[in-house]
This record gives sequence, structure tokens and C-alpha cells, in this order.
Amino acid sequence: MTTKLFGEPVRRREDARLIVGKGRYLDDIGHNALAAAFVRSPHAHARVVDIDVEGALDVEGLVAIYTYDDLTGPMAEPLPVLIPHPQLTAPRTGYSLAYEKVHHVGEPIVMVVATDRYIAEDAAERIVVTYEELPAVVGVDAAHEARHAVHDDVPDNVSARHHQETGDVEPALAASPHTLTFTQYIERSASMPMEGRGVHAHWDADDRSLRVYTATQASTSVRAAIAAKLELSLDKVEVIAPDVGGGFGVKIMHPWPEELLVPMAAMNLGADVKWSEDRREHFISSAHERQQKQEITVGFDDDGRLTALDVVVWHDNGAYTPYGIIIPIITATQLIGPYDIPVYRVRVDSVYTNTVIVTPYRGAGRPQACYAMERTMDRIADVLGLDRAVVRERNLIQSSQFPYDAHLTFQDGRPVVYDSGDYPGLMAKLKDLVGWSGAEELRDDATARGKLLGVGMAMYVEGTGPGPYEGGHVQVLGSGKVLVATGLTSQGQGHETSFAQIVASELGVPIEDVEVTTGDTRRFPYAVGTFASRAAVMSGNAIALAARGVREKALRIAADVLEASPDDLEIEDGVVQVKGVPGTSIPLRTVAVLSNPLRYAFDEAAKQATQFTSHDDSKPPVAPGDAPGLEHRDYYSPLRSTFASGAHAAVVEIDPATWEIDVVKYAVVHDCGNVVNPMIVEGQVHGGVAQGVGGALYERMAYDSDGQLQNASFMDFLMPYASEVPDVVIDHQQTPSPLNPLGIKGAGEAGVIPGTAAIASAIEDAVGRRITSMPISPTELYDLMRNPAAERTAASAGRAENGVLA
Amino acid sequence: MNLDGSAVLHASPDRVWEVITDPAVLARTIPGCESLEQTGQDEYRMNVTVGVGAIRGTYAGEVRLSDQQRPKSYVMHASGAGGPGNVRATVTINLEADGDATALTYSADAVVGGPVAGVGQRMISGVAKRMAGQFFTAIDDELTGAVVPIASAPSAAAVSDASLAAAGAPAAPAVRTFAGKAGVPAGTSGDVQTLALGAVGGALLTLIGVLVGYRLGRRG
Repeated sequence: MTTKLFGEPVRRREDARLIVGKGRYLDDIGHNALAAAFVRSPHAHARVVDIDVEGALDVEGLVAIYTYDDLTGPMAEPLPVLIPHPQLTAPRTGYSLAYEKVHHVGEPIVMVVATDRYIAEDAAERIVVTYEELPAVVGVDAAHEARHAVHDDVPDNVSARHHQETGDVEPALAASPHTLTFTQYIERSASMPMEGRGVHAHWDADDRSLRVYTATQASTSVRAAIAAKLELSLDKVEVIAPDVGGGFGVKIMHPWPEELLVPMAAMNLGADVKWSEDRREHFISSAHERQQKQEITVGFDDDGRLTALDVVVWHDNGAYTPYGIIIPIITATQLIGPYDIPVYRVRVDSVYTNTVIVTPYRGAGRPQACYAMERTMDRIADVLGLDRAVVRERNLIQSSQFPYDAHLTFQDGRPVVYDSGDYPGLMAKLKDLVGWSGAEELRDDATARGKLLGVGMAMYVEGTGPGPYEGGHVQVLGSGKVLVATGLTSQGQGHETSFAQIVASELGVPIEDVEVTTGDTRRFPYAVGTFASRAAVMSGNAIALAARGVREKALRIAADVLEASPDDLEIEDGVVQVKGVPGTSIPLRTVAVLSNPLRYAFDEAAKQATQFTSHDDSKPPVAPGDAPGLEHRDYYSPLRSTFASGAHAAVVEIDPATWEIDVVKYAVVHDCGNVVNPMIVEGQVHGGVAQGVGGALYERMAYDSDGQLQNASFMDFLMPYASEVPDVVIDHQQTPSPLNPLGIKGAGEAGVIPGTAAIASAIEDAVGRRITSMPISPTELYDLMRNPAAERTAASAGRAENGVLA
Repeated sequence: MNLDGSAVLHASPDRVWEVITDPAVLARTIPGCESLEQTGQDEYRMNVTVGVGAIRGTYAGEVRLSDQQRPKSYVMHASGAGGPGNVRATVTINLEADGDATALTYSADAVVGGPVAGVGQRMISGVAKRMAGQFFTAIDDELTGAVVPIASAPSAAAVSDASLAAAGAPAAPAVRTFAGKAGVPAGTSGDVQTLALGAVGGALLTLIGVLVGYRLGRRG
């Protein structure tokens, strides 16, 4: 394998396009399309009594108005339960347009189509919907109490009870020298991509075919959903993800109502129709994640070694469960992190609330899992008066234990078996990187400046690259250009660069010759999607295998021409040559021409492949089992997920006057196996850390008790600016995955996972009060400090005895 | 599409019947009506121009009355087509005395096809409801004398039976054409201009005088 580009920090090739405004996002497509706008429920829970469109009719430019009554066939059925699971006993999904009831603010009820978006909005505004309000259920506690039901036929509000256990936890707890029981909360946040969702549909009435552009993370699956719902043959539907301005999970959810309704309108009207989500719509009608209540009981010995862990989680799944119980499963299985826990039991009750649906947001249940486990470690350390790093170290899975079978079943239905890793190595690097042993000096220095300083850490193991499969297609053209396609989509991850690096390395061609296409069902119709840090693992390996297939064929053809053995050939810079014999060579582009026997020559190069040039009369032009063209398609389908890992540490400084929390240092040690492009991986880590900081300190969905989202704008929903994101110092560790040809593990979500846990730990260390609910704002911290009932940590009590502040 | 509705008209059932089946009155009360032709006993042909925005056009339609039980009930069969689509409807109309007024109720079964059918049921029926409201207001104005009929006589060139009696059907009907308000250029109302889509449904169902308000049944 030529390795000169694999592992190199190649600059992102797509950035030249994306950062100068030449990206082609959904809203850049179809300026003449009709525009759709939606009437959405202003109530969290209500019966739709009447829809009066009279007032909209005066709006010049109005084209169409659709309600549930206009939906026929499969469109009139509920939206699909995408990921069924036996423990999802009461799945409920909404309709593309509300049928009889609405279950959250923002649920679409009417679609208006007009000559432009302004007119569509004007018309939508004049449509009067009459509601009979019903009681709203907001938050996990209200759902748990079940005084009201979100869905009449699910009186306990429980959609699923997911449980897994690795042994008999109760006797193990009873036999433990120490036990601790505590409850903690984590709030809702959301993906908040810069570009919201959006759909453009073009219906060719003569061909009866549909082309849909959608800002999705799963174009092949959206295609299948559209075909099924609109009763079209799959070959008559093509779906393309254009440049997509961020996904972070919200766009893996599909089919969104709009992804079905916009194509339906285009078919009904025989005209192009487009809808681009606005920010308020994104807040109230896309998806959120993260809210959980966690009840944790842990048993441990005098040294802080865990003996048993028992966790009950109440997971807020919002109004519907289209994405099944993937997040509960991930929380349940990833909770154990890098630790060897003798007996583990977990139950996650997934509950309905009258709020926006909950589907994966970068991290997808892992930040909550990490928060549960790592805060448990902090508490054990506090009870025993041990260093938090020491307690963790004593519980780490050792390198000799791989492959480590956790005896759990992961989100892909396959066993949780850690394939490789070096967790003590992570911890050692982290302590060095953050200066863990010097924390007390840092604290003293801050104290002298009138600030409260704390350090915190958190470790994680992240299952990445789940199946079932991805594919790749590599084709060398007669021009020498190398076309690469994979069905999986891109939302800014740098796939055009990293996949090109893989092909350039595998095939021995200049990266400039490689063109990568993702998320276009015309180019590659079989794919799963971009989620769970799987693009590099899945498509990366599939593309590598496809490139190897092309290489093998190229060498076979070139061997004939050069009268050499394929084993003696190599490909360098797009030229096939006999090893050690300079000059005995043939350009790869010529091999591509020769791979396709021709009758007709259309240019000089093609003449070489025509029938009156020299050939072997004893064989047909295309040998049995062979195919014309220098191309290969291959798939990668893993036995199970590969497990990346990492450790983060945060240093916070708190101003005891304002209780402003400043993350002054953030250290990351990261292990995602072999790295295709370290610059891209670092970018992923930086972005993840920023989202982790946001999740820990700023972002929340402020629902009131009526289910109204009170901060549904960027005026009120706080996201960290560059000024709030600390400088991130990164150290890499590479333990290759034995599961895939390239030895890589996923890196997309890692950065966000430990943020909440590490920062909570650091704040607690700084202020000496137990932090049991995240995110935490300066106001909440102020209230906590003034609350005489707030629990003091043992560590802070010890410091107070020594005359230290706090 | 099943449509039901009602209207209160300020005259006796006999008087309502007289007016609502008078082609001259219909021609000037149907929103957007350019012309109305009587083509046979209780049979009419009409042209309506309505529409703005993406779908605008002239629609040609035919209407036939049957099962007449004056002044209590009759059935109307309507069909029509234009650029944006076509419609076919069967409507049962009942008139019942209500003090000095008449309660008119109707029940319609309509099929809407073509591009206009793609704009959504509430859109079509919303336009139809709007036009029906205008129609019944105009009829009621006729009944209560709020307007003085103008330009509603059959045009000389087209009338072969000059002895037209309002309530009587000619023994040997010939083509008679009545100009509608929309057929008078200056009379083109802004209101009509705003009624874009669902024009076929709106105009023709209005022609038969049935759409006041209705409950839309779920499409089977």
C-alpha cells in the first residue's frame, strides 16, 4: 500500500468551495420553485377542532393548501417507526400533517404552497386552526408521575423499558463494603446545525420520476421512504444530499414530514416545490436530545474498586419514537466506559412528553452515559478521600484484557466487545497534558487572584462504525480522473479530502486526480447513512476495498501490456511500472482505456482500444468473468462496532462575585485507531469540545410547564462563541482496530462526549458543592452556593478545615 | 368529495325557486359569470372566467336540473372543464319555509380532477365556499330588492324567444344567452380576481347554488 497520503494532514479540499460562498446548499437550489410554509401547532397537546383557510384565499400568489385530509394511501398512515425493537412496546409516531391531535408545539398541521416563501408565510398566517387544549406533560418527572398521558393509549407514558444486566446486581451490592445512591439530571440540547433542514422536489410528469434534494444524513433511506410513502417505484426516485451545512445527528432522523410533503406537492402541482426550515422551525419541529434523570447505585471497596453498578434512567423521548430506543440503548451500553465493572445492571425507561421528538444529537446518549459513570467515579473518590484519577485508574480495563467482552448488546444488535485500546495510556497522557499533579498550585494561584479554580476529568469509550454496511465505487477514466462514490452523506466532515486520501494512497494516484461524490443515490444507491462516527470506518474501508479492486485489475491489464507479472508491478503517481525498471511503464489512464474494448474511436486515446489494434485472437475481447472498464465496487460490513476511546480534563475558574464560569484549559487525549487525516480529526475534536462546553454551561431547551419552548431563538438559546470555547490541547494515542482493513475507529462524536462530565467535575472541585444537574448557569451556581441545604463535598470540607476558601 | 351546507334567503320558497332557477338572475349573480346559455329544458351552458396566480382560466360548464318538486327540492347535475382542471357534481337542494324566509340546504357529491385537484381539498372548498357566499348574497339582494338588475336581459342577437317568462320554460327552447357581470368588461370585480384556484370547483358548484359551508368528509 502506498501510504504517503494516508495519515497526512492534507488540507481540506472542499474548503476552497465552502468558505468562499460557492457551496451549493439546499436553499441555493431552485430559485423559481414554489415555496412551502407550514402552519404548526402553538399548543403542546391539543385536539384539532377545525381548520379554516378562508382568510388565506385573498393572498395573491397562493397555490395550494394541504391538510391531513389531502393525504392518501401510505401518506395517510403514521410516519414509520424507523428502528423497531422488542422492548419498544408502545411506539408512537406522528403523521406528516396532524391527524386529530397534536402532541407538541411545532407539529405541522397545514402545508401552504405559494409563489414564494413570503406569500406562503402570509397565507399560512391567515389560516385559523381551532384547538381544544389538553393537559401537557413536560419533563421526565411529569412523564414518570403520569398524571396525564401524552398518548391516551399509553397511560404510564412509557414507550419502552430497556434493560440489560451482566450478573446478579443486588447480592453484589449487598456484599459491597460501600454503596452510594444518588440522583442526577441532564437537560435537553439540540444539534443546531448552521443550516436547518430543507427539501426541494422536482417532478417530471412525462417520465413520472422524482428528483429530491434534501439536507439529510441518509439520502438512500429518504429515497426508500419517499418511494414507499408516495407509492413510486424506487427507480423513479432519486435523492441527493447537496452541500449540507452541518448535521450533528438531527438530519439522520428521516423521513421528516417535509421530506414527504414537499415531493407530494410537487407531484400534485406539476411544479418544483421547495421548503427551507427557518430557525424557529428548527427549534420547535426538528429534534432535541439529552434529557435524562439518572438514579445510580454503586458498590465499591475500600480502594475504590467497583463491585457492582445499578442504574435506572428516565429518558425523555419527546412526543414520538420514530428513532426507536437507540439513545436509551447507547446510554445503557456505553455507560460502563473504560471500566471493568464486575456486575452491571441498567434499566432505561423511555418516556413520552409533549415536547419535540428526541433523536440522536452528536454523542447520542453517550454524554449522558459518561456523565453517569464519571460522576460516580468522582463521588467514590470523594467518599474515600482518594484522588479522582486514582479511583479511575484502579478500575480501568487493562490492555491485556482485549478483546474485552462487556456482555452487553449494542445499538447495532451486536455484542459490545471492545476491540482494542489502551486506557491506562490515555490516563497517563491526560494527567501530563493537563498538569493534574499541579492542580493544587493552580488552585492556590487562582485563590490569590480571588478566583475559585477546579479541575475535572472524564473518560469514555465510544462504539463507532456500526453496520450494517457501506459501499464504495472507484472508477478510473481514460482521462486519468478517478471517480469515487459512496452513498453515505457529508455535512462538512471533510469526506472529499479523507476519502480521496484513502484512494490516492491505495491506488497510487495524485490526490488532484480524485473526485469524491457522497450522498447521491444516482451515483451509489446502496448506503445506510452518516451517524455514530461511522463514515471513515464504513465508507473509508469500503472505498479502500474498491480501490484495491481497481488496483488489482489495473495491474492485471498492465501486466499483459508490459509482459510482466502483476506481482512485479507498482503504481506510482498514476503510472504503472515494473518495479526497479524505470521506463517500462504505462499510465493508469491508458490502462483505463484498454480496459474497455472499443469498436468506435472518439479520440486519440480511444484508438488504442479499438478492434484493429493488436489483440489476442484466442480470447474474447471481454474475458468470461471480467467486465469492461477500470472500476470496482465493494462493500464493507463489519462483524460489530469498533470502540474508540479518550480522556478529557477541564480546568475552570469561577468568579465568586458573578459566579461566571470560565473554562481556562481543556485537555484531550484521543484514540481513534489509525488516523486518515490528523488535521481533520483535530477539527472534529475541537468542534466536539465546543459543543461539549455548550452542553455543560449554556445550551438547554427551556420548556415551561405548558410545553412552550421559551428560548426558541438564538437570542435566548445560548451557544458558545469562540470567546467561550477554551484553547484545546490534544494528544493522540493510536491503537488500531483489528476489525477493519484500515485499522481505523470513528472520531466524529468523541469530542462532545465527556464535556458535561468533566466540566461538572471541575466546577464541583472549584466550589465544593455537589453538582447534580447539568448544564449549570452562573445564576444556578449562585443559587446553589446560597442554598444552605446544598451538599458540600468531603474534599471541600477538608479544605475548609485547613482554612482554604470554599 | 361530499359537501353539505345551508343558507337563509329572505323570501318565500316559491319566490326563491323562481329567482334561483331564472337564468337571467343566475347570469348576473354567479361570481365570474361571462355568459349563460339556455340549451334546453332546464339545461344551461356557461362560461366563467376566474383565477389569479399560477392557475387562471376560463371554464366552460353545463348544468341540468332534474327531479324538480317545486318549491321543495330539485337535483342539479353539473360538469365543467377549463385549463386548470374539471369537475363533476350531483347536488340535491331542499327549500323549506322558515317564517318569512327560506332555509336552503344542499348535499353535494363532487369529483374534482386535473391539476386543480392537486391544490388541496380545503383550498378548493374554501374558494367554493367564498363564491357560494357571494352568490347567495347576490341572490338575497335580488330577493330583497337591494340591487336593480342591469344588463341582464338576453342579448338581442341570441334571443329567439322574446316572450320569455321568468318562471315558464319555453315549449321549444332555443339558445338564449344571458350576459353575466364578468362579461361586462367594466364590471369585472376585484373580488373575482382574487379567486384563483379551485375555480372550477368554485364556479360550477356555485353555479348550482350549493356551496355555503359544508363539512368535508374524509376521502375514502
